[in-house]
Amino acid sequence: MSRHERIAVVGVGQSQQAKQRQTSIAGLVRESVDAALADAGLGFGDIDAVVLSKTPDLFDGVMQPELYLADAMGAVNLPVTRVFTGGSVGGHAAIYAAHLVQAGLAERVLVVAYSKESEGDFTWALSRPLPFHVSLGAGAGGHFSPVIREYIHRSGAPEHIGWQVAVNHRLNATRNPLAHVQMPDITVEKVRDSPMLWDPVRFLESCPTSDGSAAVVVTGEDEADRISAGTGRPPAWVHGMAWRTETGHFAGRDEVNPQAGADAAADAYAQAGITRPADELDLAELYIPFSWYEPIWLENIGIAGIGHGWRMVDDGRTAFDGDLPVNPSGGVLSGNPTGATGLVRFAEAAQQVRGLAGGHQVDGARRAVGHAMGGASQFHAIWVVGAERP
Amino acid sequence: MREVGVVAFAQSDCLAANRGDDMADILAPVIAEAVASLGIERSDIDFFCSGSHDFHEGRTFAYIESLDSVGAWPPISESHVEMDAAWAVNEAWSWLQLGEGDVALVYGIGRGSLATDPDQVSHTLLDPYYLAPLHPHRHAIAGLQAQALLAAGVTTEAALAQVVARSLAAALGNPHAQRSGSHAVHDLLAQPYVASPLRAHDAAPLGDAAAVLVLAAGDRARELAARAGRRPAWIRAMDHRMATHYPGSRDLTRLETVEVAAQRATRMAGFAPADVDVAELHTEYSHAEPMLVQALGLPVGTTLNPSGGPLAGNPTTATGLIRLGEAADRIADGSARRALAHATSGPALQHNMVSLLEGEE
Amino acid sequence: MSSVRPSTATDLPAPVRTISAPFHVDYTYVAGVGRSVYLRGMAERRFLARRCPGCGQVYFPAPQHCARCLQVLDPPFEIPGTGAVSTFCIVNLPFPGQLVEPPYVVAYINLDGTGNKLQHRVLEVAPGDVAVGMQVEPVWTDDDRLEPSLASVRYFRPADPALRDGGHDA
Repeated sequence: MSRHERIAVVGVGQSQQAKQRQTSIAGLVRESVDAALADAGLGFGDIDAVVLSKTPDLFDGVMQPELYLADAMGAVNLPVTRVFTGGSVGGHAAIYAAHLVQAGLAERVLVVAYSKESEGDFTWALSRPLPFHVSLGAGAGGHFSPVIREYIHRSGAPEHIGWQVAVNHRLNATRNPLAHVQMPDITVEKVRDSPMLWDPVRFLESCPTSDGSAAVVVTGEDEADRISAGTGRPPAWVHGMAWRTETGHFAGRDEVNPQAGADAAADAYAQAGITRPADELDLAELYIPFSWYEPIWLENIGIAGIGHGWRMVDDGRTAFDGDLPVNPSGGVLSGNPTGATGLVRFAEAAQQVRGLAGGHQVDGARRAVGHAMGGASQFHAIWVVGAERP
Repeated sequence: MREVGVVAFAQSDCLAANRGDDMADILAPVIAEAVASLGIERSDIDFFCSGSHDFHEGRTFAYIESLDSVGAWPPISESHVEMDAAWAVNEAWSWLQLGEGDVALVYGIGRGSLATDPDQVSHTLLDPYYLAPLHPHRHAIAGLQAQALLAAGVTTEAALAQVVARSLAAALGNPHAQRSGSHAVHDLLAQPYVASPLRAHDAAPLGDAAAVLVLAAGDRARELAARAGRRPAWIRAMDHRMATHYPGSRDLTRLETVEVAAQRATRMAGFAPADVDVAELHTEYSHAEPMLVQALGLPVGTTLNPSGGPLAGNPTTATGLIRLGEAADRIADGSARRALAHATSGPALQHNMVSLLEGEE
Repeated sequence: MSSVRPSTATDLPAPVRTISAPFHVDYTYVAGVGRSVYLRGMAERRFLARRCPGCGQVYFPAPQHCARCLQVLDPPFEIPGTGAVSTFCIVNLPFPGQLVEPPYVVAYINLDGTGNKLQHRVLEVAPGDVAVGMQVEPVWTDDDRLEPSLASVRYFRPADPALRDGGHDA
């Protein structure tokens, strides 16, 4: 990152995640925006660009919601950009915000993300009967679970790995009052005995859909120092960030270990000067919608060797008290406001290295990775954040 | 700022309804044309950015299909806006400022023809609690704005008809235009209203098209443009600003966001909209032209929408991108030294972008 | 509902928690040149595949352009439609719009002679007996229900009759 201005996260806000929030979309968005600005000690007048992240507009039936949300985001008379790259969108939005600062086009950028799936029908929007596609009645899990089966087939991982990941994440969520799913009494047996939805994926190994929002304020170095001096809260410094995309359905594609994810991670680590990610990272917030995606992504982003990600789970290394906790916030399995899910991963990584993660703070967290992915594992965004100035 | 310019622009014909090609197939030949004109390979492109919207395609994640025309393998650095692709140009231009690469390809694909009745779509652009349930006709808010302009004395119905007549006559010289022709103002004024004081010809006709812009930085831009036998159209400034959403909370006769964007662009570029030879304006309705001329301070004599503008073809999320491409082409072909491109989004021109382009001395 | 109200507003109506705002849009979908080839084949019980002249990969269904090489694919040719299960899941989740009662198998199938994966149901077999690598064959609809759609293939079933359970046939 030496060639560019240093980038920092100086404010983070998140809403309560829940099945159905009794508030308008604008009200939901405003909760996080207000919290992020308060964290940064800034007002609306201090923001000079806004980037919005959300899921497909067919999910909640509002077309180009940046228009309607202009007032809720405090965006009147500001430049507003609404990026969209599938589920990775929150990560893309944060990286684009950083680019605006590095390009000298803005000093303080507000990144806003939300989902209010309760206002629409998300399964309908995802499984629209199009005349060229046979309706298989598979749903969202029907896409990912065959990939999971292939991972299990290749790696020879035992079936309890998926159950253990679900337990780890759900227990982590009990430390995070904003997390949607709270299951303090979860056990491996309960996961194992939960209904099989998309064999091999069980109910308790699957993410919920949630209403929720998140917001982040991104600045350059001088602003970060000034803001931090004023609020007394440290910034999270961005040590490396990257995005990559690959085509979703060409002949011969490997969806278990997508090249775009590996390339994005390698780029971000190179910027951060990381050569041994498993040793140099203190925790990871990864986009894990189904429990098996923990070993899949650990391998894909180079934290574990190919075929060995499940061993990190089995050895307890990714649990809260392990040497590299994964999703200490509870992760996607414990709350999934899809349009915000990617940004929540990025924001949680930042809060950890700021030492502001509250009940789910990982002791001594100095460097963390935030990760988001979308589409048929085609879109990948990742950033490495740290407590130290890079 | 790093010097970044347009070195190639290609567009498909804008058709009222392309029933032969899917999204990828409309786009593929246009990307190929733009890339081939520069004599480069896909691997020479450092960043891709695009704009489209699911509601026009009628399917979730529609933009993923367009990636098949990009050939995102090996993996690429890429982003997308669920907006007009003019905003994708803005993102690509920002990205090139970072110096991580020298060449970016931006594409926009717009399909106005797939929704059988555009009225079923247009109201979803509004506040879902207060405005959308009213289900205003898609021309209704534009009609309110046009009426307010007439009442404020900014324009007249005859002036609007003149905008249409001039645009469609200009489009006779644009082989990609969806609509063109020679029309007498009095014939236009004899047409019935669709949303008084607007008539059918006052609204840009929805259509299907794709457009591709290649941006390059510094000497790489000069080299690529030379290969294509054209001059780089340097983007000296881009700025965009959002207004409040509620039409009832705005002075509909004034485009404050355009004024702000133009002032900021002027500071960045070192010249003003008043200094350009050509302006390509995103006029989804004829009445947008006098408003924009006023807000931008364009003097009499500025050539407006020589392509015919959106009134000659409005392929939804590609329309704003095409304004940038047409403005760049006027610089490339030597008919302008400086040009302005405007793009808009939202009801009654809620969100506006102003770009200032310049050729080399 | 024990919300605090200003004393001057006791005549206000009850709070509105939600409103219903349905919308309806009709779309015309365009098949496109490439997709049209395979759809027409489906109406005639034929699997029409195409090869990329650039990378040699064979696609079914075939787009017009190879998403890797961006070249227009070669003219279509017929493949048998048999293949091997590449990976699969068993759908146990009931939800609206399902055509088959759970549990049933949805598989990625490598059709013989092609390089991409086709997603479809695998029936006439107990879900627990489906395995990666299992050879499968298509089961077509009746002639009077053939249409330019992958729905003309009702499902796939084990190619080996001994593996079929004769049960679930959609």
